[in-house]
Amino acid sequence: MAQKILLIEDDRQTAGYIVKGLGEEGMTVDHADNGRDGLFHATDGGYDAIILDRMLPGMDGMAVLGALRAGGIHTPVLMLSALGAVDDRVAGLTAGSDDYLAKPFAFAELLARLRLMLRRGGVGAQPTTSLACGDLDMDLLSRKVKRGARAIDLQPREFRLLEYLLRHKEQVVTRTMLLEGVWDYHFDPGTNVIDVHVSRLRRKIDDGEAVPLIHTVRGAGYRLGTEG
Amino acid sequence: MRVPAFLRSSTTRFFALVFVIQLISGTALLMFVRHIIADELERTSRTLVTELHDDLVADYKQEGLSGLRRLISERLGSTPARDAAVLLDDPVGNQLAGNIADWPPIVPFDSGWQVVTLYRMGRDHPEPMGIIASKLPDGTHLLVGHVVEGDLRVRELTGEAMAAALLLAVPLALLGAIVATRVITGRVERIAETARRVGMGDLSLRVPHDAGMHDAFSDLAASINLMLGRIEALVAELRVVTDSLAHDLRSPLTRLSATVERALRETDDEAAISALERVGSEAGTLLAMLSTALQISRAEAGIGRDRFVATDIGQMIEDLAEVYGPLAEERGFLLSASGTAAGVVHRELIGQVIANLVDNALKYGRAGGTIALSARQDEGAVILSVTDDGPGIAEAQREEALRRFGRLDPARSASGAGLGLALAAAVARLHGGTITLGDNAPGLSVRLTLPQDTA
Repeated sequence: MAQKILLIEDDRQTAGYIVKGLGEEGMTVDHADNGRDGLFHATDGGYDAIILDRMLPGMDGMAVLGALRAGGIHTPVLMLSALGAVDDRVAGLTAGSDDYLAKPFAFAELLARLRLMLRRGGVGAQPTTSLACGDLDMDLLSRKVKRGARAIDLQPREFRLLEYLLRHKEQVVTRTMLLEGVWDYHFDPGTNVIDVHVSRLRRKIDDGEAVPLIHTVRGAGYRLGTEG
Repeated sequence: MRVPAFLRSSTTRFFALVFVIQLISGTALLMFVRHIIADELERTSRTLVTELHDDLVADYKQEGLSGLRRLISERLGSTPARDAAVLLDDPVGNQLAGNIADWPPIVPFDSGWQVVTLYRMGRDHPEPMGIIASKLPDGTHLLVGHVVEGDLRVRELTGEAMAAALLLAVPLALLGAIVATRVITGRVERIAETARRVGMGDLSLRVPHDAGMHDAFSDLAASINLMLGRIEALVAELRVVTDSLAHDLRSPLTRLSATVERALRETDDEAAISALERVGSEAGTLLAMLSTALQISRAEAGIGRDRFVATDIGQMIEDLAEVYGPLAEERGFLLSASGTAAGVVHRELIGQVIANLVDNALKYGRAGGTIALSARQDEGAVILSVTDDGPGIAEAQREEALRRFGRLDPARSASGAGLGLALAAAVARLHGGTITLGDNAPGLSVRLTLPQDTA
């Protein structure tokens, strides 16, 4: 069944673009262009996720979020905002949003984060002791990684990077998500440091293999998967 | 001669002033009391002597010399005149009556009140006494006196009491000076402490004062509070302006990058793709500049202090060295991190600053050279430094390098907006610290000195 998303965003062009993009990804999107309507739709229920702009006419995004959470509605919320400073992000997350994306954003980033959120909301996190993708195996207890019969020796940080990619396999993972998820950095290191780390990991995983597992998604980030 | 620093301090001077004034007023008060007592004693003795003298002279006038001699004997025999001294001499100096053997050579025959030391008959020691001498009409001389030994003893005692009181006054004056200095400096310090903490970024603080009181300190506190209110309002205004600016510029940037993203998906034309990618990259640069400029403004306004947390800075630079390690290696640099330090800082901003400095070093340093990150603790401060061995920055240009949009390259050929060092300077100030650019001989050394506990 198609996933149902509620978009609360007052900028018509941005909203149109998100509605179109998510529609192309097979999702159903309802759109509200102000806080009050948004809250009305959200309480009506039935959404898998809500994308909520922070600065809205009528009722501020933080107020909408507060009212939702106070009303016992725990639909995952991805907050969008032009206020992108760390302090603003922390305020948004503290208020009860599940993720926070600063404007301007790439659609791929929005999609990647939304998918991640939907998955978290859908399946309860089960404790796992091993991860796999194709013939790549990662044992989280012994911290050993094997591609087929070949043992791969990874630095601790490379291990965590690969673990993150494996936990989000077949999904687009953006550079910002890697920075936050692997390094816990909430600032922009400027240069292409992440690309260098991924390319090192890729050499260890994919060099000499018939099927590459780490793919670059142009303009978005990376994806770990068996299909190119 | 140089005056020691503590003597130049106005607190010390105020203390000394209060102390000296109290001592002088205490001494003056005691001397006044002593004077009154001495005066009263002398006046009493003088009255006694004058009364006796006048009685004797009146008797002489009535009853003549023989009557006077009888009266002298009577008076000297009575108890109230125990301290009296009288001498009646004939014109050639023979004693006619009294309890003094001879006319004392130091006393003229006709004198007013004076104090002399004389022997009375039957006494084994000379006694100080106040006397009056006069010449009677028949040429005889009359000397009337009153022993003032007791008075002198009282005077002596009051002198001793005064010295003792002065000794006691010194610690009391000291205590008074301490209390007065404490009260005054306490009030000044409360104002100074508020100003210091406001300077550190807590703009909501006000100088505590009792609104009902009307003195110079409450006036000062009220004026300072008025000023602090204005500053707080201005900063709040700045926050609104920067936030609106962020919003108004980010929305079109969002639309721009969305349009580029869509266009990229819909074309296969290599030339169009490369042009669109350039547009996207320029939009990214614009956004990065906007973000950094906003970060600088917010840091300058002291926004973000509530995000200060205890941070292992040594670990942080090690992490950053690890993140940048592969990139540095790829570009032919050796990147190292050393030292340990911990402090209460804005983790993200400090991380951003170090990342920017490493970025700069990678951009301007000498390939094949070393980029060194270090952190150490020194007398309550955390000293963070990033050094490279590139061309460095000439001393005359260092100030310009720290300015917003300050660019050292007039042609602006190198990429970057010239905001990295300005952000570092703003973040250092946010922490109450400083930034210095130095010569790494060769290369640039950027040093951030942050107070260890800025919270």
